[in-house]
Amino acid sequence: MAFVLGIDVGSGYSKAVVCEDRSIRSFAVMPSGGDYKEIARTVATKALLEIGLSFNDVVYTVAAGYGAGMVDFADHSLTDISCHATGIHHLFPSVKTVIDVGAQFSRAIRLDNDGRIANFILNEKCAGGSGKFLQTIARILHMNVNEIGDLSLTATNPVEFTTACAVFAESEAVSRIAEGAAPADILAGLNKAMASKIITLVTRVSYAPDCALTGGGAKNRGLVKAIQEELSTTVLVADEPQITAAFGAALVAFERIQAR
Amino acid sequence: MTNFGNGSSLTVADKYYSQYGLRARELKGSGKKIIGYLSVLGPIEILTAAGVVPFRLKGNVSEAITKGDAYMETIICPFVRNVFDAAIKGKFDFLEGMVLPHQCDSIDRTDDVWANNLQLPYWHYLNVPHVTDDPSIEFMKDILRLLIRSLEKLTGKKITDDDIAQAVKAHNENRQLMRDLYVLRKSNPPMISGTEMMKVLVAAMSLPVDESSALIKSVTEEVKARPMPANGKVPRIMLIGDQIDDVAIIDAIEGAGAHLVMDDLSIGSKMYWTDVDATPDPIQGIAERYLRKLKIPTTFVGDGNTYQENLEARFGHMKQFIKEFKVDGAILFIYKYCDPYGFDVPAMKSFIESGGTPVLYLEDEYSTSTLARVKTRIEAFLEMIA
Repeated sequence: MAFVLGIDVGSGYSKAVVCEDRSIRSFAVMPSGGDYKEIARTVATKALLEIGLSFNDVVYTVAAGYGAGMVDFADHSLTDISCHATGIHHLFPSVKTVIDVGAQFSRAIRLDNDGRIANFILNEKCAGGSGKFLQTIARILHMNVNEIGDLSLTATNPVEFTTACAVFAESEAVSRIAEGAAPADILAGLNKAMASKIITLVTRVSYAPDCALTGGGAKNRGLVKAIQEELSTTVLVADEPQITAAFGAALVAFERIQAR
Repeated sequence: MTNFGNGSSLTVADKYYSQYGLRARELKGSGKKIIGYLSVLGPIEILTAAGVVPFRLKGNVSEAITKGDAYMETIICPFVRNVFDAAIKGKFDFLEGMVLPHQCDSIDRTDDVWANNLQLPYWHYLNVPHVTDDPSIEFMKDILRLLIRSLEKLTGKKITDDDIAQAVKAHNENRQLMRDLYVLRKSNPPMISGTEMMKVLVAAMSLPVDESSALIKSVTEEVKARPMPANGKVPRIMLIGDQIDDVAIIDAIEGAGAHLVMDDLSIGSKMYWTDVDATPDPIQGIAERYLRKLKIPTTFVGDGNTYQENLEARFGHMKQFIKEFKVDGAILFIYKYCDPYGFDVPAMKSFIESGGTPVLYLEDEYSTSTLARVKTRIEAFLEMIA
């Protein structure tokens, strides 16, 4: 039995998962802010403290994500793409396509039967189809990004957005507000626009079922529904989709101590 | 011949790389005429034969475009915009003139923007055809003769067939020397890193041919004399693209735990892999080399009967590179708004993948501003092929 630590420092949120062998014992999620080095330590400490552990109890640490290079206490680092793949393959072995909706990037990852990455694609510099897009709209509607999903599911007449560009969608949302559209309808329209943007990534990696959705975006039930409608299939979502890459990193950490 | 003294020749390459244009500025000070050119189409042999110094222009990926966009639209490829920005800011104030080819829209549709705003004493537009049949070779020879005449007017000196033959010989030798250096990348691990190689390639394109040859030769000797690095299980990567002329992307590849062992870049193997044949009329050999031997997306190379034969004619050399240099994965790095390469991407990618080599396709700016996201993709690609 050994405690391992997986850390995913994303551009929006930092996540830490403590595993005992392959089982999650605790986790923590915090906004990344401007100091990746500091937040990595803080979020790891938080997860460890929850089960009364300290860094000394950790046998191996793997860091992933945009800020992985800043995690000075990690034994190894990997891209979050590999870690998402590892995490999802462990949770849902039947999954061939992973969609990750993060704050800055959305990714589509295609897995082979053994859970190895066969192909992957990230959205380009454009923020359309990433969590940033939802944050922008949440801001102009004066709501919390976590509320978007449930509210959008109450929509009766979803607004058709003509753009998936985060900047233009902001002005389009403002014009719809001016025309009297209900927030729920605006949000449902945005989830739909975002889903179609994400589906172009999925198509590019040669979509195959089953499909899983990870990342903070997977907590938006309206987006999950929109993606399911686009793919005409059920999309698997973990209980805590946001920590998938950190969990994958912890699994890799465990594999690495096994291999020693 | 340049004496490199006791200093390492790789240090000299690094100096010419980091202070790009340093030697050209010195040569200008000693009365030489420096002529800038922008692409693999040169034609450097003619410039050398004219007694001027061919100097390939490059931008700076770490520098923002601050003045150029006032003159050039932002749909122009970021490489051309960045170089133009450097030129308009006076970075190349040692230039006597420039030769711009009919190549891609971003170059030939901005010819007048360059000419009118830089106001250099010498300007020549080289109307290179895009097809390679026999009448095109005749046309190419004619436009090379026009270039010769305009250079004669600039220097006041006649360019003889013998001058051209001499220049062809010097450049062929230069290319052979560079190919000899490339051979040192075949070992595993390569004896020269991708970053070092990039610096040599960039330094070489800023020097007169004799100085370039001396530098390459001495780098080869220096690298050969180094202790052989330990063998490791590290992926061997080939980089494909147009004018990638900075170590930033290569640092990203090698920093992620791979060796860059080969390229199909316009300042790399494209420049050095094919020679000019010594033909009775020296212009004939030059025309054939630039039009038929050089494989670039703007030239319709390939007279195959089938699509597959055309692909083989255009990209077959890359499969050869993959075999010879034992390449594990290829990175196709294309600048935004580069239509010629952009249109080639699907065919090129599937052609290389059909040989069993994975390809990572990246589209990006000529700028380090987006390097972090490019790095993520490279790292994931390396993890995928490991």
